[in-house]
Amino acid sequence: MKPAISSVGAAPSALSRRSFLQRAAVAAAAITAPTLIPASALGRDGTVPPSERIIMGGIGVGNRGSGVLSNWFLPEKDVQFVAICDPQKARREKIKQMADTKYGNNDCKLYSNLREFLAERTDIDAVLSAPGDRWHALAAVWAMRSGKDIYSEKPSAMTIAEGQAVVETARRYGRVYQTGTQRLSETAFMVAYELAKTGRLGKVHTAYAHIAPWDEAEMRHDWLPGEDEPPKDECDWDQWLGPCPWRPYNVAYTRGAWRGHYDFHTSCIGEWGAHTFAQAMFGLDLLDTCPVKYEYVHNISGDGMVTTFANDAKMILSRGDKHWRGSCGMRFDGPEGWVGCADGYSKPDVSSPALLADSKKLVGDYVARTGRPVGGNGHARNFLDCVKSRHQTVSNAVVMHRSMSAVHAANICMWLKRDLTYDPVKEEFVNDAEANRLRSRAMRAPYMF
Amino acid sequence: MFKTKLTLILAATVVLANVALSADPAPTPLLTKRTEAQLLAAVKSDAPYKDKADACRELGILGTKEAVAALAAMLPDEKLNHIARYALEPNPDPAVDEALRDALDKAQGRPLVGVIVSLGVRRDARAIAALGGKLRDADPDVAQAAARALGKIGTVDAASPLKAALPTVSPVNQLAFCEGLLRCAESLSAAGDLRQAAVIYDQLRSAQGPHQVRTAAVRGAILSRGSGGMPLMQELLRSPDFLVFQAACRTALEIKSSALTKMLAKQLEQGDADHRILLIQTLGKRGDAEALPALIDAAKAGDKTLRLTAIRALPQLGQVSSATALFEMTGDADREIAQAALESVASLPGPAVDAAALVFLKSDNTARRLMAIELIGRRRMTTCVPELLKVATDQDPSIRAAALRKVGELASTADLPMLLDLLLKAKEGQDLEALEQAVGALCVKSAEPEAGVEKITGLMGQSQPAQKAALLRVLSAIGGKGALQAVRGAVGDSNSEIRGAALRALGDWKTADAAPDLLALAKNASDSREKLVCLRSYFGLARNTDFPTDQRLTMCRDAAGLAKSKDEKRLLLSALGSVQNAGSVALIAPFLDDADTKEEASAAVVSISEKLLQGRNAARAAAATRLVEPLKKASQVTSNADLAKRAAALAQQAQSRAGRQ
Repeated sequence: MKPAISSVGAAPSALSRRSFLQRAAVAAAAITAPTLIPASALGRDGTVPPSERIIMGGIGVGNRGSGVLSNWFLPEKDVQFVAICDPQKARREKIKQMADTKYGNNDCKLYSNLREFLAERTDIDAVLSAPGDRWHALAAVWAMRSGKDIYSEKPSAMTIAEGQAVVETARRYGRVYQTGTQRLSETAFMVAYELAKTGRLGKVHTAYAHIAPWDEAEMRHDWLPGEDEPPKDECDWDQWLGPCPWRPYNVAYTRGAWRGHYDFHTSCIGEWGAHTFAQAMFGLDLLDTCPVKYEYVHNISGDGMVTTFANDAKMILSRGDKHWRGSCGMRFDGPEGWVGCADGYSKPDVSSPALLADSKKLVGDYVARTGRPVGGNGHARNFLDCVKSRHQTVSNAVVMHRSMSAVHAANICMWLKRDLTYDPVKEEFVNDAEANRLRSRAMRAPYMF
Repeated sequence: MFKTKLTLILAATVVLANVALSADPAPTPLLTKRTEAQLLAAVKSDAPYKDKADACRELGILGTKEAVAALAAMLPDEKLNHIARYALEPNPDPAVDEALRDALDKAQGRPLVGVIVSLGVRRDARAIAALGGKLRDADPDVAQAAARALGKIGTVDAASPLKAALPTVSPVNQLAFCEGLLRCAESLSAAGDLRQAAVIYDQLRSAQGPHQVRTAAVRGAILSRGSGGMPLMQELLRSPDFLVFQAACRTALEIKSSALTKMLAKQLEQGDADHRILLIQTLGKRGDAEALPALIDAAKAGDKTLRLTAIRALPQLGQVSSATALFEMTGDADREIAQAALESVASLPGPAVDAAALVFLKSDNTARRLMAIELIGRRRMTTCVPELLKVATDQDPSIRAAALRKVGELASTADLPMLLDLLLKAKEGQDLEALEQAVGALCVKSAEPEAGVEKITGLMGQSQPAQKAALLRVLSAIGGKGALQAVRGAVGDSNSEIRGAALRALGDWKTADAAPDLLALAKNASDSREKLVCLRSYFGLARNTDFPTDQRLTMCRDAAGLAKSKDEKRLLLSALGSVQNAGSVALIAPFLDDADTKEEASAAVVSISEKLLQGRNAARAAAATRLVEPLKKASQVTSNADLAKRAAALAQQAQSRAGRQ
């Protein structure tokens, strides 16, 4: 059978999903029952009213994704996780076991082919996607094109063009998109953002953003030694590669050794910059743009690279523990003080303890102003709330694309070993044809937008 | 905890990756300094696929017209098509378009799909006719790629074959054809041709396609009509189809218009709870003050879920005038409603809301006054500290305590003398406790805590025992040299209440600086009771896991000789049990032979050994060796069968690990 994403969204039914579920409950059918009920029979037809549960599936859920699933999504009472798609058998079976154990049934369905999964499971409202950098944007576009909302792990795009496609698709189909930059929904980080945004530090002139302590900005272009491909059911190598150039199979890729390779990874800058650039831009209140200048640094990682926004605010890439202790750190400096935060902080570091006096109020005001939850599993909850309200999430497609554009520009700056100027309106480098050619990569058929 | 777990997983993944990396080449530059001619020579040669792929990656960055012919020859090839496109797609030379169009007749299957997509990426208007023909291709992948490519080109001409084909498109191709049209409509809108865009959106709206297409068409149909889209918006907001309604609400977020706000508010009068919840959330998110009356009405009465939604939406309008209604709702009988109202009013900006809070503070109603105090704290009304201090002498103890808590949160160093004065005069235990908390909170958050210490120590001489004890606890919370000196001085006080408070303050010290004092006091204690108090505080410090393990072990070792009585020995064992170190097991071992302590000692040995022998940082062989005998002994002396079994198993494990030395 040739897979196709076409039969999504059949004709509406007069029967509402809620009434179906109520009837199912009355009939003593388990609340977990409707895993194979087509969307048309449920009357869902692409909508999740506030009173209803969200039917979820997974795409490429590995180590990172399984933590997100088990800690954030499965515990939510208005979520029913019903299917997993992964080209690797062991991974999809692990997720099935996790879901089935949670619900006490055997209902979680297994899929190895993403196009078949998306075409067949018209009952699924939203997906958790975590297959790795090379697949995140394409999976997001395909899922949203199929009418599903998506929580996508980061780094969420391999190129500027991929990010543009995600933004266009989310906007086009009115889909809800959230990228996994969960520190935009954590309490200690939120205190820091609000201190920066509300003028408590004066006008913030500099933000520091952590880049990963492993790998380099320069990438690998070699191949690991070729091995015999396993049976397709065990690992569908063509699907695993997705839009990337073909190369021979080696099991190490599927176990994490894809990191550091140009075809699959966004370097040490993307690894944490996907988080921390968004964090820095959130605190600078510059979410729908990105830096215009990138100053090349003569080291292996981009540590110390100064990037400058159109309003002269700077975002400086930083490796190591110069400005914080812990991972994915950030810091904001203003004329009247500074604030810093990283993983493991119960409250931010500040230049003066007085800055923390109204932390609770800062966070409370943010929650009231935006309606977004903060703390706990607030990031996932924000996504689920938006699936019902159709509002924008905190890490929506634009936030992802703009912060990842900065990641890509910083990488290109390091790869070409020269300063770059970027126009965030035209989304092109100024007077640099080579850099502009690196804004996109041709995708391998049929893994294309 | 979750984050830690994730970090560990990530670290493990990285370690795995690095294992592979360690044996492999290091990263290499993206550009190898080869000329285009050299790269093309590799492409044209019989070199392995890898070499050609590497050359194509670089040609994608620097290839010119010279590279086109050689790369075009690779396009029909199943294996080489992608890397050829990788080099061609970003190359701006028009010869690339020609080569891709030419390949439309030569390539098949995946290569053909790739060529079509590349033509779309390059927005080659000269390919429209050929791509239109491909819409009828029997291969759905080809037809779908052609539809999307035409969409990328996005002109009226590109839309034409798609519009014609849509009514008869096969189900398998329907979504792709719709997407092609949507892309065209977006391009036309961006180019200012809103009329043509609206025609496409209307066609898609009536086509009954997939739900996401109808959502897109609803949005586009409204927005492409500009200000003339309001009648359509009204029609769609009344649709019985929740999908259409939801799409209309989402589109409303993109339109600034008070007329639309009124339309949405009017719509609130009808529909079921789901519809109304979405309307309320949309009105809140749009932030238009025109929505205020409707949201206040929805917040005041009716379905609880709707009320909560409206209460939470009100602050998004940022209108101070909503404060009165929200204040009223803070007294609602339903606690969830009252709490939501409190949180909403707390975030409303402006001095008028502050003034309203002060009016409530002066009310006769205790619940309202408590709410006002809470609100003053939540709103960080620091100028209200004098009012709070007045209320802190109220007859009602619950009001006094609440006011003092907020004073601690809001007061500045300048308020410290007044707070201390109140503390010295406090008669009720509850008031003293609240003032102690307030003074402590104020001093700890101060940029200059030592200044607070000076003021406090200056008052110690004139304080009553209960007040002095409270001040000693505050000093302990502040910490530092000056505070320690003052507490040290109080240890010799003739009043037993003060002495006890001083000893406990030392035991609660934030650093190990107080340990030598406590040890000396224990050594020189005049009676066994005082010695026990000193040791309890000392070993309490030794249990503080914020201190380094070695330091805590040294503290235990220094005091081990003082632990003579049963209670003293148990305090020592309790501290040693918290030090996860083979050295602590050695100190515990003698207590396994003591009838008074063998049970506690056995439990401590097992607890430490379990942590040392299990997990990622399992004890090294040398450390494991030191565990074997104490564990064997514990398994023999304890009367707890389960503990004995665990000790025996751990002994074997330690033996095994020691054997690997």
